Amino acid sequence: MIEEKLSTHKSTLEKFIEAANRKKILAQKCVKCGHLMLETVFFCEKCAGNKFEQVDLEGSGIVVTYTIQAVVPEGFEDVGSYAWVVFKLDNAPLRASGLLPGIKTPADLPIGTKVRVAGYDSKHGLMLQK
Amino acid sequence: MTTNKVCLLGAGSTKYGKLNESIIEIALNAAKDAVESAGITPKEIQAGYISNVFGVADKQVHMAPVIMSNLGIPHVPGLTIESACGSGSVMFREAYANVAAGFYDCLLALGVEKVTHTGTARSTTLFSYCSDFFYEGGNGASFPGLFASMARAYMTTHKATEEDLAHVAVKNHENGLMNPKAHVHKKITVDDVLKSPVVASPLKLLDCCPFSDGASGVILCSEEFAKKSGRPYVEIIGSGRGGSPAAVQGREDITTIPSTVAAARQAYKMAGVSPKDIDFAEVHDCFTIAEIIDIEDLGFFPKGKAVHAVRDGATRLNGEIPINPSGGLKSKGHPIGATGVGQVVEVFEQFTGKAGERIVPNAEVALTHNFGATGASAAVHIFKKVDRK
Repeated sequence: MIEEKLSTHKSTLEKFIEAANRKKILAQKCVKCGHLMLETVFFCEKCAGNKFEQVDLEGSGIVVTYTIQAVVPEGFEDVGSYAWVVFKLDNAPLRASGLLPGIKTPADLPIGTKVRVAGYDSKHGLMLQK
Repeated sequence: MTTNKVCLLGAGSTKYGKLNESIIEIALNAAKDAVESAGITPKEIQAGYISNVFGVADKQVHMAPVIMSNLGIPHVPGLTIESACGSGSVMFREAYANVAAGFYDCLLALGVEKVTHTGTARSTTLFSYCSDFFYEGGNGASFPGLFASMARAYMTTHKATEEDLAHVAVKNHENGLMNPKAHVHKKITVDDVLKSPVVASPLKLLDCCPFSDGASGVILCSEEFAKKSGRPYVEIIGSGRGGSPAAVQGREDITTIPSTVAAARQAYKMAGVSPKDIDFAEVHDCFTIAEIIDIEDLGFFPKGKAVHAVRDGATRLNGEIPINPSGGLKSKGHPIGATGVGQVVEVFEQFTGKAGERIVPNAEVALTHNFGATGASAAVHIFKKVDRK
């Protein structure tokens, strides 16, 4: 019975993926102090509180930095030219990162470019679009 | 807290590069050199501290007992420590702490790695497992890619150029030419770096360290043990550890590595020295941008100024603060489990007259700095030459 219960429990990462597929970023908000965190934390980094409310943040932001991967890890050969991007969320003091396809040169992606979450790909992770 | 003085009595490394032997044979070759360098026998070793990351790629994990057994001391306790590319220095810190606490008088601290047989694609993937994988490797970022994103942030913030970064590679290759155990013996120019193939923009092949096999080991002991030996030794006068958010996205400033800053602060305080007192440093230059960030975080240069210092030659062997006289990860190579120990081997060789033509003249205080992943974990150690006249 216990195994059955555990196997149906949805992990925070699964919830993050579900949110990404709704074009959102799932964050953890500390119930005690209101601090927002992206990572799957179990204790608040500010006040050590251990109760969190999960909030959907708008998955849009601006590019803070990025790389265009020429030599890619295994499993990403089929993406074509892409950038791995760190972006600052528009409506929260948080940064997230993901894969932006179709970027061939730095001219395609000046720092500050607006990007948004396009969804979550089971093979390639958090997908972005301009 | 009162701790005992800890000393380096011996050191040895294999050549770094593509090695044919098994991971255990590689480790044993470095262990043998370290033991002989210290003038001891394995019977005097009371514990073995081993650092390694990808032993599974050569079908061997839990390798400390295997190494101890092959040294003829199967009953001596050993443990294996992993902290990505910082495994060697993090393990060294734990070994140091156990001698400082008085648990052991003499131990072997050894790092080893073997990955080149897996090929570039597999190695790139294996290394990406050292990232915060859900947010980084799992979204297509390789390790060169993560550092490339840091490079772009640095270049944007401090108006640095790809050419600025290339000077780090040129300098480290120059030093590596004088190190017979270095992986890459090749003189290069700024133009060579700029024209080398892009790996992850803005980093190119010659901005990146190679994948390497190799091992490095040192014998750590109490001051009493070192004095009784009658042999040359080096004293460890500072030790610090630090942590950073594991994912690059979690850092407010992508142009600094908080774990380095914290570890350096602790090590300087413990040693009672400042960056100005350091005569040379071995730092973690897995990519050219890493060395730039390191030497600012370690306090050798103000933020945003290291690129100018490197261009002006301040970090060359005859400069105001020689950085990576061994050739660094960039030229000497980066067998990730061994790298942090290899830096300590360089300090031992410099301070005991074994560094050959790459010797830093009149050096008496040196620093080693090594981190794991993009700096999620780091360790800094400071060493003092002991005059045995």
